[in-house]
Amino acid sequence: MKEVTVEVIGVDPPCKRCQATYKSVEETASTLKAKEIDVKIFKLNVQSKDTIAKYGVLVPPALAINNVVKVMGRVPEKKEVERLILATVK
Amino acid sequence: MLIFIFFTVGYLIYSRIMAYSLAPTIEPVDLRGLPLWEIPIAYLVNYFYHGWICLLFAFVAAGLVYEFVPKEVITKYMSGGKVTGYGLAIGMAPFLTVCSCTMVPLFAGILYTGAGIGPAITFLLMAPAANILSILLTGEMISWELAGVRIIASVVVALTAGIIISKTPWGKTIEKEHQLNSSSSTSRVEIVKPPLDERLWSALKFGGYIAKQILPFFLLGLVAVSYVEAYLPEDIVGTYLTGVTGVLIASVIGGPLYTPTLVEIVLGKGMWDMGMSKGALLSWLMGQPYDVANALAVSRIVRWKVVLTYMLIAWAGSVIFGLLYGVLSGSL
Repeated sequence: MKEVTVEVIGVDPPCKRCQATYKSVEETASTLKAKEIDVKIFKLNVQSKDTIAKYGVLVPPALAINNVVKVMGRVPEKKEVERLILATVK
Repeated sequence: MLIFIFFTVGYLIYSRIMAYSLAPTIEPVDLRGLPLWEIPIAYLVNYFYHGWICLLFAFVAAGLVYEFVPKEVITKYMSGGKVTGYGLAIGMAPFLTVCSCTMVPLFAGILYTGAGIGPAITFLLMAPAANILSILLTGEMISWELAGVRIIASVVVALTAGIIISKTPWGKTIEKEHQLNSSSSTSRVEIVKPPLDERLWSALKFGGYIAKQILPFFLLGLVAVSYVEAYLPEDIVGTYLTGVTGVLIASVIGGPLYTPTLVEIVLGKGMWDMGMSKGALLSWLMGQPYDVANALAVSRIVRWKVVLTYMLIAWAGSVIFGLLYGVLSGSL
């Protein structure tokens, strides 16, 4: 079992596009379980100082995989999330 | 997909060459004779007969630009100091704020990183005033001259407000309060670009998403505009919305009536047809900074003093530019 941390960085209260991003990550996570990959999902608030200290100014919704921002300002499709995660784990 | 994009752009160019108006051509006089329920219908039919390609183009273009504009530039250079900060705020704001939910978070982000409160305010004021969607529609429906003037005026006002606020004692306090001293985050962002066809698709989807968000309000706005055109006597517009008083009145009512849904453009166009002066029209369109919802969200971060300061500056700016443009264009 390999582990991946995925952070969905959005606004709080969540906007529609942030929710869509979260959903596509969630769905990808359940697909990847079959491939022996454990995806841990976290929600970050783009406006909080911790997030900004960690990543700088981001355009929500953004996606960070293993602490590297890979997607920003757009809603990624499921297959894109899967591709990104697989590329990181490999 | 590409065919669809080419069709949209091509048809817009074609319609421009054929030189027919994309704005509603119906006259207030035509509307007055109709029964109450028929007014909005007649107006909407007339509007969409001419305006659909313009709207379609605006949404497609907004989706494309938003998808392809390099957003990571902001992350990379925003902490690079004051001048870069102001430059980025002005250069990027028009492209990033098609979706209103990104504005306040970005404002906070800019404030917390090295750039500080000046560029943050500049960004905040620049964003609604000059986003691509509203500039495109202003250009298509009213005139490109006005759209150009609107951009220039917004840049000047946004810059002035940013610089002034960064000099005030209360602005400085807030900046100190929020400043983060770590700026070593650039290495943590490595955007992976998906293949072109996926990006195009996502651009169109985003265009559709904005359309879905905006169109219901836009339609309601059009219904309201149709009644205004039908029942607001032209001499009232001619008396109150011209000259110096016209600019003042337009700048004051432009704010509370502003909705980030492009209705202000249609309403402005309607009143312009009825005799509002060009100067007053510009002030009217520049009224966004008093947008209450945004001001509330921002005040939670920077407190009321800063909000009031930038509102005052923005209001003064809209009056000054309205008067200036009115005098220069000979339509006050």
